[in-house]
Amino acid sequence: MKKVGLPRGLLFYRFYFLWKTFLEELGFEVVVSPPTNKEVVHWGLTNSVDEICFPVKVFLGHVFSLIDRVDFLFLPRMVSFHKNEYNCPKILGLPDIVRNLFRYPDENLLDSEVNMRDRGVRGWLQGYLEIGRKLGKSERETMRALSLAEEKHRSFREQVRSGLLPEVLIDGKKPFPSFPEKVLLLGHPYLVSDSYINMNLVQKLADLGFSVFTSEMLPEKDIRKALKLVPKISFWTISNEILGTALHFIRNRGEGVQGLIHLVSFECGPDSLVGEVIERVLKREREELPYLRLEIDEHTGEAGVVTRLEAFVDMIRWRRREVESNFSSPFAS
Amino acid sequence: MKATFPHLLHLDVALGFLYSSLGIDVVYPPPITKKTIDIGVKLAPQNACFPLKVTLGNFIESIEKGADTLFMAGGVGPCRFGYYAQIQRIILEDLGYQVRFVLLDHPRYGWIPFLQALRAMSGRVLSPLRLKRTVSLAWKILRFTEDLEAQRRALRCRVVDKDLLDNVIDGAIDRLRSVSSEAEFERIKREAEEAINALELHEAQKLLRVGIVGEVYVAQEKRINFNVEKLLGDLGVYVHNSVSTVEYVLHTLPFTKSKEKLEAWQMAKPYLRRFVGGEGIDSVGSTIRYAKQGFDGVVHLYPFTCMPEIVAKSVLTRVKEDFNLPILHLAIDEHSGEAGLITRVEAFVDVLERRKMNSKEKVEVW
Repeated sequence: MKKVGLPRGLLFYRFYFLWKTFLEELGFEVVVSPPTNKEVVHWGLTNSVDEICFPVKVFLGHVFSLIDRVDFLFLPRMVSFHKNEYNCPKILGLPDIVRNLFRYPDENLLDSEVNMRDRGVRGWLQGYLEIGRKLGKSERETMRALSLAEEKHRSFREQVRSGLLPEVLIDGKKPFPSFPEKVLLLGHPYLVSDSYINMNLVQKLADLGFSVFTSEMLPEKDIRKALKLVPKISFWTISNEILGTALHFIRNRGEGVQGLIHLVSFECGPDSLVGEVIERVLKREREELPYLRLEIDEHTGEAGVVTRLEAFVDMIRWRRREVESNFSSPFAS
Repeated sequence: MKATFPHLLHLDVALGFLYSSLGIDVVYPPPITKKTIDIGVKLAPQNACFPLKVTLGNFIESIEKGADTLFMAGGVGPCRFGYYAQIQRIILEDLGYQVRFVLLDHPRYGWIPFLQALRAMSGRVLSPLRLKRTVSLAWKILRFTEDLEAQRRALRCRVVDKDLLDNVIDGAIDRLRSVSSEAEFERIKREAEEAINALELHEAQKLLRVGIVGEVYVAQEKRINFNVEKLLGDLGVYVHNSVSTVEYVLHTLPFTKSKEKLEAWQMAKPYLRRFVGGEGIDSVGSTIRYAKQGFDGVVHLYPFTCMPEIVAKSVLTRVKEDFNLPILHLAIDEHSGEAGLITRVEAFVDVLERRKMNSKEKVEVW
């Protein structure tokens, strides 16, 4: 059976079940790179140009770990998976980056363009049909595999919405304990879901007594509704999801959300602008909501992250006490 | 209404003419200085790209000079430029400035705001014929300023008196600021061309040739890129810049196609198959074109963290090897230091000279 490699990074955390099912139904063995570790990061750093953002470097490390072990590399060019929106330019150019940096042969790279920007669902179908063609499958076989894959994808998305993190579902990890107090954890899925990159942030918050709520747990229609509040939404789908989730919780605090953490990678273009909108809206409308912007790259030290998280949690507790102390106590007067 | 707009090299000459002919009061943004940059850096998001910061600085300096209306362009991504205006607006709002933002955004975001912005930017209603004449003269002015800059680049390495060259060109650009009729423009143009033709040149010899590629703002705006072109020219290098505002506008407008750009895109295809926003694909295509034209090296200029250019840079690592072409990548932001940049450019030119010498030696041996 021919092997297809699936690098564990970037949109992997969103489409893993879709891609895996799709390829398996077409009769291929799917090889997933190991969870991010020191070695993978090292490969990524040595194989990429220095200025590219950390998540892409990590992704390239995963590619490197797969390259000699598989017959094909699965790297669809995910231009857009939402109408009128894009992904970040680096994701648009990802197949070209891989092809050129690793001199990877063209015929083994499954890099068909998936673009729903103008053509909606047709752009989606076209992309997958082309991958099927490249793998020598008939249109019928591809469509059947795709519809099974989409079913898996839907049920995965539903499970995430119910509060399970992608890494729990993908690797069968033990779910994190659930607490009534939550932190809204904003960030691209490849930061939020990769516990090596984010230095076990979710676990650390759990140790401090907080669960996380992510933008993937909020229904799409709530996100889009909240986005109507800004004059022009950005043109990056995931950044919009982050922005919409933030706005939703800034306007109507819910789900026991006590504070906001925005996890960004240093040099993230979209987040540098969208994050600014979030911060300014927050300042205008809910200045009392504790907020932490956590910037991550290959130089980030774990001790610094821990210190800042602890300070953030202290802030939440301190602010709450302050609010409570403003209620008239029975002993006053 | 007192309108202003951000700088982009000599765009203010053409826009200043256009808007004032259309009956709009124009407040020219003060030239970009350290102060402009400082203002922008202080107020803009830290990790935003450098052009956003500089243009924000332009806006604030113009507002302080009395501007109450800001003209700005939008976009549909994926490069960050299309979202600049949104960020700048929210920053200005928080600072308490009462200004009107006229944003010419893509009709994709609605035809009504598009037409409203177009109308606000076209001032009092003129007869269609006069409107056409005004726009076409503004366009000619823009083209001519770029042409002058191209001449400056090409001649600097050969001209005997470099200061005279600067005087001629800066003088012509200055005179363009007060153009009021087509005839006057033609006269300035003719006189400038005569003055340039009269410049004394050194004997033509085998000069190093370097091409400039990169993001449109940084690759052009010499007050930001420490005037790399001048630096190269003073070292005796013939410089060509693949980036121009004219090309940029031509390619952005949906109904025009510029042959050069399309050709560059075609050349980029084996390496970068798809548009990745901004000038990413142009940088790759133009580099390949320079390689094929036998240029000795390429300088790649872009704002630090620019997404499309980082994709281009990743791809260029292979172009560099395949065409055996040295490329100097210069990421510019508020932390870039002039001394460091000069050192790198000088070292780059040294490398190019050495390569040229070595290749000659090889030819002689065989």
